[in-house]
This record gives sequence, structure tokens and C-alpha cells, in this order.
Amino acid sequence: MSSVDTTPADTDGLVTIFRRVLETDDVAADSDFFLLGGDSLIATRVLSAVARNYGVELSFEDFVLAPTPAGLVELIAAAR
Amino acid sequence: MTGPTTNGPTANGPARVASAVVIGAGLAGLTAAEGLAARGVEVTVLEARPRVGGRTHGIEVAPGAWIDAGAAYLGAKHTELLALIKDLDLATTPTTMLGASRFALSPTTEADADGELATRDGRFPPLNAVALGDLFDRLAELTAQVDPEAPWLTPDAERLDALTAAEWAEQELDHPDARLFFPLFLGEMMAADPADVSVLHMAFYLRSGGGLRYLNAFEGGAQEDRVAGGAHLLCERLAARLTDRRPGSVRLGEPVRSVVQDGEGVTVHTEAGGVYRAEVAVVALPPLLAESLDLRPVRPAPRAGERTGRGCAVKVNLVYPAPVWRAHGLSGWSVNARGPLLSTVDDSPADAPDGSRVGVLTGFVTGAEAHRYAALGPEEQRAAAVEQAASLFPMLPEPIGFHRTDWVNEPYSKGCYAALFGPGDWSRLGPALTAPHGRVHWAGTETSTEFFGLLEGAIRSGHRVVTEILDAEG
Repeated sequence: MSSVDTTPADTDGLVTIFRRVLETDDVAADSDFFLLGGDSLIATRVLSAVARNYGVELSFEDFVLAPTPAGLVELIAAAR
Repeated sequence: MTGPTTNGPTANGPARVASAVVIGAGLAGLTAAEGLAARGVEVTVLEARPRVGGRTHGIEVAPGAWIDAGAAYLGAKHTELLALIKDLDLATTPTTMLGASRFALSPTTEADADGELATRDGRFPPLNAVALGDLFDRLAELTAQVDPEAPWLTPDAERLDALTAAEWAEQELDHPDARLFFPLFLGEMMAADPADVSVLHMAFYLRSGGGLRYLNAFEGGAQEDRVAGGAHLLCERLAARLTDRRPGSVRLGEPVRSVVQDGEGVTVHTEAGGVYRAEVAVVALPPLLAESLDLRPVRPAPRAGERTGRGCAVKVNLVYPAPVWRAHGLSGWSVNARGPLLSTVDDSPADAPDGSRVGVLTGFVTGAEAHRYAALGPEEQRAAAVEQAASLFPMLPEPIGFHRTDWVNEPYSKGCYAALFGPGDWSRLGPALTAPHGRVHWAGTETSTEFFGLLEGAIRSGHRVVTEILDAEG
């Protein structure tokens, strides 16, 4: 994971992950994952993408507290 | 319902088919039979059991309160099923999923790995979310890769069809939490032990059912609703229509032994010595049963192979005076690493006319666990289920009813939810899955590449057969 640790987490990157996993383009920086129809199963796919892209492992509980692209950017920054 | 029958040659082509024998009074067979009868074909349905319904089966657990001992759930993508529900004057009832889920997945302490599993509440299993995400990413990739109409033509099909899901997991899954969760997930999704299905079949099944997320979800997914009063009503009402059209046209307790075809038609012989003659036959049986029919002349392609398995599901319905878990903020939903009940859901029927409501906790015993559980005696089965339910939900009183339906050993189903296609099956069986054998046509949820294994697939296969018989060119 060290090779990706320095990649800065940006809102666009998280929006892209949300779009892929939710299979919709209708995602903005403040879109709530669960209001867009996301469930706990595919939430894990956001977390695995975050771990791959940014080298940060977040828990499901973290995600529930900040289920938006902007919220996750802050969590990723705080976790580093 | 329709205009008068024309049996003679039409202006456009050869004589229309005027008579059919349908073997199997499950949802596929009855849909085909009613579709043919509505268009003027004289149809006789032969059913081995003393009831219609196949893998749907209703049990009355309290006066006026019915539960599904077999197939039960549906969602918005199941368009043919929703249309049939409407056509038959039936209604849907939402599956209730309010409150927290319970998870008994990890040992209480490291040192106590074989002891009691800690029970936790929440929305998410207490497992590593990133590891589960990796698992679902891989499954989603496989699902996207498969050719949904012809799985045997999938890129890399040869390798994917040769590999079991268990071998795949062994190779691909590193994290212990992913290894723990994968068989539970597959058991719940398709009543399969990972060793019993090919990777190709797993990927196909997930794709066919609408994708990983759709197939897994209750709200917004394939388990959004149930048929109010029980899914068996679909079959009972279809059978009633057939009987109204032509009394005696649905014959119960008539296991079929052989189907012999000649230049003019088919002759169906039953175990009891009955002989039925028609122009065409529809075999609406699960693959393992279709394969055991004595068909003459012998068909060129098999319906099942040596690795074709039985869907491994035993469904347990525990009945309580009320759904007491709800008052404790619990949904009744649970996922458990140890059996027999690998998962539970709240299947309480809607309020009875007098306002009373019983609570029904349905437990799913799937995969390898289904074989172990099925081998126990009735008292042991009851005790194991009641005890596990009480440890998950300590507020439960003694159940007032216990029902267990062993689909694995059911001679006229040979498994449930659906047949499990093992290594090599799709390559061998797939290309001839729906191809008629002369005057013999094939229905059944396992012949539908759309919603394979589900009620919706059964209905679609029935419709396909009607089109094949009545609208086919030449």
C-alpha cells in the first residue's frame, strides 16, 4: 500500500468511486450514499476502493458517519 | 377468455397444435398450461404430488395465517410475476426489515474459538469491511464478465466452468473474513455449497438474478415483497383456471414414467398405468427429474450431468404467539457462522382478519449444513432450531409451531432453490437448455437464463414454451 499512500484523496476521486459502485452518474460531492440507494453490501466496495486507491482502511461505522464523497475525503485525510 | 379454437390449417401455415400434456404442476408447468389453454389448446397437466405448486408450498401456521415453506420473495424487476399476481387477483406484502440485525459470526474470544459465538447487533456484520468489499468487487467483476444469454460463450468459459467456487475462493480470497463470509453468502444467494457449483454458474446466477446487489437486497431488491397469503396461491389459482376450463385437466398423484413420441404425437405413461396422448409434451421438471424420465427416442442432449447438484435448502419456520423481537428493536434478521440456521428473517404473515398476528421466524439451512441438518431426526431438528433461535433472540418464548421443509430430499423436487450446475454443466447442458426435442418442450426455472432459479424464471420459461409451440415458424 505504500506506493499509494501519498495519493491525495480528492472529492472527484470519491465521486467516481460512488458512480461506479452505485451504477449512476447522479453523484455530487455531498450526495448521501444511502439516499442514492446504496446498501451495506456495496458500501464495502467503496471501502475496498478507498483502501486500494488511498491506502486507508476505513470501517463500516466510519462510513455510516460520513457517507458522502466530501465526508470520506475528510476521513481519509484524518486517518493519515 | 379467448375466442374459439381453430385446429385446422390456417391461412398462413400448418395445422395448429391442438393438444398438449404438461408434466409438472409447478409454476412453470402451470404457466405454460394456462397459456396454451387460453389459446384453445386442450391441455392435461400431470403432477406426481398430491398437490400443485412444486417448489412453492404454503403452510397454514395459525387460522388464516399462511407462510411460505418454499419459494417466497419477489422484487420490482420480476415483471412477469407481478403481472401474474395482478391477473390472478393476488396482492404483495412487503417484507419487514425494521430494526437491527443480529450477527453471530466471530468467536467471543480468540482462545474460545470453538465456543459460543458472540452475538452483535447492527446493520453490518462485524467483519473487515475492506475484505468484504474486495470479495464483492471480485464477484461483481465475474458477474459483469459472464454472457447472460449464453454463459457457455463467456470469455474464458472453459476455465470458469471447470473451476468450482470453492477452488476459486481458495485461490482468490486471502482475508479470513472474506473466506468466512463467502460460503454464507453463496448459501443465502443460491443455496449452494461452494464446492457444488462452477465459478461460471455462480457468476451466471448472480447476473441472471439482476446482479449481486439486487439479488442480495430486501428493500429495493429481489426480496422486497412476498405474495400475500403465500406464493402457492399462484399455482392454486392457475390450476383452478385450468380446471374451470376443462374439469379433470389437472391430474394429481400421477408420477410420469415415460414419454414416447412418434410422427403424430406423444404418448405419456404414468406410474399408475395411465396413458395420455397429445400432439406435444411439455416437461416442466427440475433438471435432475427431467433427466430421469424415460424418453423415447432417447434425446440427444442430457438435462443434467454427474456434477449437477441439488439446491441445498431446508427451510425452517418457527411460529411464536407474536413477533416479539420487534418490540426489542430487532428485525428478526440474523446471519450466523454456525448452523443449523445460517440466517433468519421475519416472515410473520399480515394480520389475520380478527387483528391477531403470529410471529414467524424463518430460518435458512443451506449449503453443506443442509445435508447435516436433514440427516437429524425430527426431534433433534426441532431442538436445534429452537435452541439456536432462542440464543439469537433471548426474548423468544417457546414456539407454538415448528415446520421444517427438507427440499434436498424431496423426491419430486430434488433440491431447492434450484439445480446447482457443477463443473462442466454449462458447457455440456447449456447449448441445448431450451431446444425442443421433437415434440417435447422444456420448461422450468432452470431453463430460463433470465432470473434462473426464481419464480420469475419459472414464469418466463412457461411463456417461452407457449410461444415455441404456438408461434414458432414452420
